[in-house]
Amino acid sequence: MTIPIALRLDLRGVTKTFGGVRALDSADLQVLPGEVQGLLGTNGSGKSTLIKVLSGFHAPDTGRLEIDGRPVSLPMPLGRSEAYGLAFVHQNLGLLAEASVLENLIAGDHERLNPWWINWRAEADRARRLLDDYQLDLRPEQIVADLSPVARAQLAIVRAADRVREHRSHGSPGVLVLDEPTPFLPREDVRQLFTIIRRLKQSGVSIIFVSHDIDEVLEVTDRSTVLRDGKVIGTYDTADTDRETLVHAIVGRSVSVSRRVSALADAVPTVRVQGLSGAILSDISLSVRPGEVLGLTGLIGAGHDEVPMLLSGAGAARVGRLSMGGHEIDLTRLRPSDAIAAGIGFIPADRLRLGIAPDLSLTENATLPLLGRALWLNHGRLGETTADLMRRFAVKAENPHQAASELSGGNQQKMVLSKWLQLRPQLVLLDEPTQGIDVGARQEIYDRLAEVCANGGAVICATSEFEQLEAIAHRVLVFDRGRIKAELKGDKVTKASIAQACYEGANEHAAE
Amino acid sequence: MRQNDLTYQLERFGLVIVWLGFIALFGAMRPDTFLTWSNFSTIFGSEAVLVIVTLGLIIPLTAGDFDLSIAQTLTLVSMSTAILDARLDVPLMLVIPIVLALGALIGLINGAITLYFRVHSLIVTLGVGTFLHGITLWIGNSQTISGVSPMLMEWVIIQRYWGIPIAFYYAMLLAVLIWYMLSYTAFGQHLLFTGRGREVGRLTGVAVGRVRLTAFVLSGLLGAVAGILYTGTTGSANPSSGTFLLLPAFAAAFLGATCIKPGRFNPWGSVIAVYFLVTGINGLSVLGFRTFVQDLFYGGALVLAVMVSQLVSGRKERGL
Repeated sequence: MTIPIALRLDLRGVTKTFGGVRALDSADLQVLPGEVQGLLGTNGSGKSTLIKVLSGFHAPDTGRLEIDGRPVSLPMPLGRSEAYGLAFVHQNLGLLAEASVLENLIAGDHERLNPWWINWRAEADRARRLLDDYQLDLRPEQIVADLSPVARAQLAIVRAADRVREHRSHGSPGVLVLDEPTPFLPREDVRQLFTIIRRLKQSGVSIIFVSHDIDEVLEVTDRSTVLRDGKVIGTYDTADTDRETLVHAIVGRSVSVSRRVSALADAVPTVRVQGLSGAILSDISLSVRPGEVLGLTGLIGAGHDEVPMLLSGAGAARVGRLSMGGHEIDLTRLRPSDAIAAGIGFIPADRLRLGIAPDLSLTENATLPLLGRALWLNHGRLGETTADLMRRFAVKAENPHQAASELSGGNQQKMVLSKWLQLRPQLVLLDEPTQGIDVGARQEIYDRLAEVCANGGAVICATSEFEQLEAIAHRVLVFDRGRIKAELKGDKVTKASIAQACYEGANEHAAE
Repeated sequence: MRQNDLTYQLERFGLVIVWLGFIALFGAMRPDTFLTWSNFSTIFGSEAVLVIVTLGLIIPLTAGDFDLSIAQTLTLVSMSTAILDARLDVPLMLVIPIVLALGALIGLINGAITLYFRVHSLIVTLGVGTFLHGITLWIGNSQTISGVSPMLMEWVIIQRYWGIPIAFYYAMLLAVLIWYMLSYTAFGQHLLFTGRGREVGRLTGVAVGRVRLTAFVLSGLLGAVAGILYTGTTGSANPSSGTFLLLPAFAAAFLGATCIKPGRFNPWGSVIAVYFLVTGINGLSVLGFRTFVQDLFYGGALVLAVMVSQLVSGRKERGL
């Protein structure tokens, strides 16, 4: 690597607080011309906040930014980042599936296009040249929905590169931010993306490569910056570093979390899942004992969060069987009503879409599963039932007839939990149960789950919060690309060892 | 408690107050023609059909679906009733179940297409409605068919209680039934979740597909009931009868959702909204305005109703 003369991008002292929590704590990021720089960190490390400061989505509390030595005032005006030579490719790629490659390439290119007249023939020629430059086997008239996942990712990257290639404001190549573009791609497809990244680099473009995958970062980057708890832990020359160093930097020294798991009786498992496959999951099997909290975790795209969806009938499995309490359930045709009848309760992650109907009242939300086919609803009684649940689950609200939208996230989640736990389910499924919820409500939710266990119920909790698993899980399964790659039990269930298992290469660790 | 809140009560009964205000205003201006029992009993009786169409609409609307075909279901049923009764001499006791089944079948078709092909109900029922109008013109030869048996008229418009034709009481009976269904049965809650929290409902075991299908069948049935009553009211069937009912029914459904149970489609709100709208039009025509006031009034009311309901929900959001 050459000694830098000037920095392409220089971000210094960025601090951002959300409601008293420091998401970023005087973070710095320096990017050289024509380098690929990795950005690593766990969930909540501040990676995405940093990217959102660059894109103008967040206004930082403090901090300054220079691009090619010129100061840029923060917050970056939304939608103006391309004029400063910054382009972003997010995980969802931002492509319109039903539109053509050409339409997607020119979408939003306000800098260049005449707003009153699009010369389609010239644009198609330009698109063909662009696709040729990057040796992409795509035609402008192809519909994006028909493309393979990797071709879509390539298209999104080339589009972003095109926006900053000329760096329309002052003639030098720009900076491309690739924000987790790979988690749903197979390894061989990731290689194809790397070819484009290297080609871009040769043309002088700088790339910030955000990823959870250390192997990929080691393979494609020149330097890597690691964030933890909002702070920059360090920037490492990739050639001189190894996986161990990076994992250590990402995970850090482990702070012990107070574990609150109950002693587990030596019982036979009451819940068994066999040969489960879904959109990501591929042929996994697991079992849970009565009174046990089984934690499922993994990085983005690992598929652990699919398990609760498939076991509750929220989504259809490709294959899979569930046996519990004498029921033999075919997971390919499980409907939510069957799951409820079998004694399964599911607390979903997307609370406002799947968990609770915000427009409707607390009573309506809480009592829906009790109604059956009733032809006479006693509203007084339903209201009392709800008021009773609200007392037992410490839901803070004025009255049971309030709209659910008027409650805080934590109270909504307690309401969702109470709706399911009043049915006394034998298997409770949770997906990110404490997302966006304050510490107090978290503890109350953990207490309720402990009660379920004390009554002989089984709990499966999918989460990306390692600390939560250390607090409540008896056992943790770590997922990677649809398979279980590690199992941690007893005093191995710590934040640090879970993180270690998540970041370790799949080849080094086989499923137990 | 919100229930005791004065602004909430004003919101619930706002439309009733405006309605009474209209009556007072027109009554003061034309006491001799507007403010007579015969004028009101005529309004109550003749608009029973519109009430039933509106009641039919709010069932799929609660489940989040539009039934734009309901007015043409009415027309086709009305035409079928007249043809079966007057032309083919099928006994009335047989005609009624046949045309009710026809209405239910139309609902079933609407629902099946919407659900199976996952097309928005707005488009499906727009097409189906136009198709039904085509059938109506075809089987009726684009003509008005009269000569319906007096029995039907007897039981729709001629029998009166307290001066109001019996059709009005049918409409009220249906309003009671639908009110009961929406408020006091599990199915009512299932409809509500299907419309306002479909995924939450689905994950809680509500068979949302079946609920939507049932809602379409019920609106088809109510469209058929309205069609039978329409034939009974006029003693004939004309091929454009329903065309002028669709917009008023939507206006009344949305206006009705701003009162009694604000924020929800509800039968008593719909009934009040229908009579509020026709009182306004009746009053204006008594004052000498001509037919264009109908369109001004219905169209204006629909737009105003959705604006008000947005304002109301906006107010609630700010109240957080």
